[in-house]
Amino acid sequence: MKVKRFFAALPGRLCLFLAAAVVLIFFSNDFGLVDIQKTAIVLAAGIDREGEEFSLTAQIAVPKGSDRTAGGTSSVEIEGKGETVPDCIRDIYGKTGWVPKLVFCDLVLLGESAAREDVFSCLDFFLRNEYVPNSCRLAVCEGSAKDLLSSQSAVDDTSALALSKLFSDAAQKSGYVMTTSLREFAEGYYGVSGSGYMPYLRALPQEGAQTEASGGQSGQKTGDASSGQTVYTAEETAVFSAGKLAAVLPREQTFALSLLHGNVYAGTFGADGETYVVLKEKGSAQADLAAPAVRFSLDVRLQLYGTRDASAPDAIAKSILSPAQRARAEALLRSYLAGLWEQTAAAGCDVLQLRTHIYRTSPADFPAWKDALFSLPLLSEVDVKSVS
Amino acid sequence: MEQQLLSGDLAADRAALKALLPAEDILFRDLYDAAGTPFVCIFADVLTDKDLLAEQVIAPLQRAVTQQKMERVLAALRAPELRTRQSLAALADEVLAGNPVLLWEGGTDAAVTGQRKAPARAVTEPPSDIAIKGPREGFLEDMKSNAALVRKRLKTGELRMDALTVGRRSQTAVTVCYLAGICREQTVRAVKQKLSAIDIDAVPDASYLVRFLSDRPYSLVKQVGTTEKPDIFCAKLAEGRLGILTDGSPIALTLPYLLVEDFQSAEDYFMPPARATFLRLLRLFALIVAIYLPAFYVSAQIFKLQLLPVKLLLTIAGSIRDIPLSPSLEMLLVLLVLEVLNEASIRMPKYVGMALSVVGALVLGETAVSAGFVSTPAIIIVAFSGIGLYAVPNLIEETSIVRLAMLLAAGSVGTYGILLLTAFGLVYLVSTENFGVPLAAPFSPLVRRDLRDALVKYNLHSLKTRPASLNGPNKRRMK
Amino acid sequence: MKLSSRQILFFLAAVTPVGKLILMPPQLAAAARGDLLLPVLAQLPVQAALVFCVLLAARDGRTLHEMLARRIGAWGAAAVSAALALFLLYAAFVPLIEQKLLVQSIFYDTLPSYVVFAPFFVLSAYLCSRPTAGTGRLFDVLAPLSLFGMAGILLFSVGEADFGALLPVGAAGAGGFLQGARRACAWFYDAALLLPLLGRFDYKKGLAAKGAAAYLAGGAVLLAFLATFYGVFGDIAVIQVFAFAKMSHFFAGLTVLGRIDYLFIFSLAFVMIFYAAMPIQGAVQLAADCLPQSGKWLPALLSCAVNAAMLALLYAFNFYSDRIIDLFTGRLFFLIPAAGAASALLVLLLGRRRRES
Repeated sequence: MKVKRFFAALPGRLCLFLAAAVVLIFFSNDFGLVDIQKTAIVLAAGIDREGEEFSLTAQIAVPKGSDRTAGGTSSVEIEGKGETVPDCIRDIYGKTGWVPKLVFCDLVLLGESAAREDVFSCLDFFLRNEYVPNSCRLAVCEGSAKDLLSSQSAVDDTSALALSKLFSDAAQKSGYVMTTSLREFAEGYYGVSGSGYMPYLRALPQEGAQTEASGGQSGQKTGDASSGQTVYTAEETAVFSAGKLAAVLPREQTFALSLLHGNVYAGTFGADGETYVVLKEKGSAQADLAAPAVRFSLDVRLQLYGTRDASAPDAIAKSILSPAQRARAEALLRSYLAGLWEQTAAAGCDVLQLRTHIYRTSPADFPAWKDALFSLPLLSEVDVKSVS
Repeated sequence: MEQQLLSGDLAADRAALKALLPAEDILFRDLYDAAGTPFVCIFADVLTDKDLLAEQVIAPLQRAVTQQKMERVLAALRAPELRTRQSLAALADEVLAGNPVLLWEGGTDAAVTGQRKAPARAVTEPPSDIAIKGPREGFLEDMKSNAALVRKRLKTGELRMDALTVGRRSQTAVTVCYLAGICREQTVRAVKQKLSAIDIDAVPDASYLVRFLSDRPYSLVKQVGTTEKPDIFCAKLAEGRLGILTDGSPIALTLPYLLVEDFQSAEDYFMPPARATFLRLLRLFALIVAIYLPAFYVSAQIFKLQLLPVKLLLTIAGSIRDIPLSPSLEMLLVLLVLEVLNEASIRMPKYVGMALSVVGALVLGETAVSAGFVSTPAIIIVAFSGIGLYAVPNLIEETSIVRLAMLLAAGSVGTYGILLLTAFGLVYLVSTENFGVPLAAPFSPLVRRDLRDALVKYNLHSLKTRPASLNGPNKRRMK
Repeated sequence: MKLSSRQILFFLAAVTPVGKLILMPPQLAAAARGDLLLPVLAQLPVQAALVFCVLLAARDGRTLHEMLARRIGAWGAAAVSAALALFLLYAAFVPLIEQKLLVQSIFYDTLPSYVVFAPFFVLSAYLCSRPTAGTGRLFDVLAPLSLFGMAGILLFSVGEADFGALLPVGAAGAGGFLQGARRACAWFYDAALLLPLLGRFDYKKGLAAKGAAAYLAGGAVLLAFLATFYGVFGDIAVIQVFAFAKMSHFFAGLTVLGRIDYLFIFSLAFVMIFYAAMPIQGAVQLAADCLPQSGKWLPALLSCAVNAAMLALLYAFNFYSDRIIDLFTGRLFFLIPAAGAASALLVLLLGRRRRES
């Protein structure tokens, strides 16, 4: 009877025990290892290399408190040093007591020194770490990543947020920024092409800046031009081979690369006092092993966007390219493509994934061509059509 | 104990009944018919319509010559409801129920006339189940009125109203209503059996019966439907359910209960199906948000920041920077304050309630934020959750507890805790049945045809059959 | 209360593929690279045939224990049931490790305490103490959730997928294929999960064929997932554990909508909880069938004991997850297919169409 009664009361007692355990954990907060108040929300990480040592600069968002009279996002840059990236993070934790959380880290910025060596010696951590999103952007900057992240942007209180504007979809459509994510870059690195690219950033002093910058952000770091406000440009592209910085493509070649990737919409380019706008384009890059040659083909629809000289209202209304202008645009694009191929071939960088294409379509030919690829001549086909 | 019957000796029977009913509000009125035969009319002062008694019983009796014969007595009376009783105990019960009793010299039977007049209020719109477009009548505390409200909507001989009495001392009248041939016989039998088996002192309200009718009496989840509106009650009877009216309670019970019922409103049937569907989905969404929002908010802050967009996260981080409590404790505190305010505002007199809402909203909310006890986002989250819960008011007793449990799970184990608790709830819900009908039908088990009037509401022309989940004998309701 | 044949089909079509989304894709990518679909393509028909066999045996209408007891007596039936229960517990181990790792990864921003996974066993014990037939009703809810989650993840990630990464077909060679097929074995025991359900659902004409077809349909969804997975991650697929929780992150719309992909991720994670508990539930059911009917509390106690044992085992090997998975998918790879096939064929031999009375 007693046994029966014991078993009858067992579910209730078990539930009570479980509820008590949950309440205990709730109040002790045992599993909540790092709550929001102990966390450093890292928006961007800059990595520099000093010999065998890494230096990681974490740009950490600083909440503005309940009195949110000022807009924008303030941040602070903390530097950690160590033999590996995790060592640097531990260093930051040791200095601040904040646990750096990288779940919102949307930018990993490599300083020139880090980019000259195999970048996966530092990106390995980000790829390995389950809590770092593979979608975070990668970029290289001129000089040190720490300096760039610590610089005072004229656009936003926080340089990482100002840079994110440079990498927006709209910016990519202009054709002058080629962005990449950690996943894309790693796929290139570990894939048969062994190559990749990142936007190459430069910080330019903003001359004549006033206290309120465009974009309407105001905050703690605003100042005048003399206080060293900067703007950033990402119109160049750093290309990598075997994980090392191989070359920096100028803006024209970045544009050509964008065109071949089919990224451009409403991007402009100009020559001889005339500017054209790309309204539709299709580009491809293939290795034609039968020829053998590398074929770049571009099919673009252009409109005349602006001229240095005054035009008649009729001409403005139509904005059609004359045959001469079409020919000039074609020649210009060809020269961009040629420059691109010349530069990447010289650097041994398969930025257009030609090796991957050969591997997938003619795997038998791959061993023979994977190294000989860059000696192939370029055949570029550019078809420019005018639209009104 | 042997039942004591009337002896035919008026004085002795009068004395015996007086002994059984010694209360002063039980009146014994002596009268005589035209031939001088003595009678005694016994009635409860407060429960009998004395005008009717005088008109239908006393006056006709005084003009009649009855010759102590029962047939003549009954023929003389003008009361529409007449029956006879022989046992003294039964007569005492009738008097206590408000029905006058008539004894006469030489009579071994007594006439029970039906001039019962229970105190009752007028038929008004009930506070729950309100419909803007739709009937406004609500049930009362008087069962006869309630039965009338049902009967006038279902004018069919198939409507059965089987009377039972529950409660040793309260002798509460309970009516089991159902449509014969539409409601499942086994359900009717089982309900009557369960009601008859109830052995309790008094049943002050229908809610007492709910616990006895549930297969799992300790369950948090309700297993019996309730309504205060006769139109909803009748619609449920017509679907094949069974209804229970309880004397003294304006709440009618309906069985078997499906969880999806509480996401439906009477008004859904008076509006276009698209709108009804939208509203039902909205109710579900509001309920889900109400239950899960505080939990996910806490879980996001402690365990998984990624659940929040970064800009929102920074705003929240800014707001909670100076809050002394942990996110989970803060949320628990605000939720408890909401529950206290809610409870107090329901119980308080209306004029104080107004003041209370001002105190709650302004003093507690605004001042607590300014003083840095709680953060603004926490107040917003709890306010939204509080409102969302009322989108499905019939489930509020269950959902407010579930919300608290979710918060505890979130604050202790995080998002995984929320998922596990939801899994527990799901296992429990799908395995709960009442009177052989699964609570989570028509979703689990899936009854495709019934999905037409579950969360998605089809046009009336598509609802030709009664809910198959109820497993009634008559499936078709429209040709 | 019995399961309906629809619920069995829901389980086979929508729940079984979800259990293979955690560690199997990167394991296959490591073994067969772009050919990761081929080992699965080989496993699916075999498993579908075993599902067919088990469902065909359900025509008998008896539980597995009853079938065995009729042929080999009560003690023999108990011995075979116990062996099958042990097999199911063995098969449950890899999914449990996966679940533990998954929980630590996708529900937290930093590595949490190892204890956070322990409450799973409370749910599992509760689930095991419920009648198995009630599980059928869960499938009615889990199937749409699974479809919702899978469709959402695929929809959000397909735009980022470069399906060319699957080319050239056969690049991994026979060695890669065999290695992949070998590793996949640990995840293909779905026919065995039906064994405890025997006698708890009514066989309707054609259920065996429909069941096999439903399983293949679920397999097609799994293949679509694997193709998208490899298309999104390409050569780094091998390191993408818990890929289903990461693939949709690249969807451009998330910048506007916020992380709504968590709706899909949590839906699938929710279904996975039940899938991981199913082998334990099956094992408890098989063991409980051997117990005397009068012992009302015995199945509940058994459930608590089995789950406590699994919890203890899991935490005993807490720091050896990789080695355990290597062992199960490596040296001991043959155990699951061998025991799975043997049990399915056994019930096919035992099962006999019961004559209509």
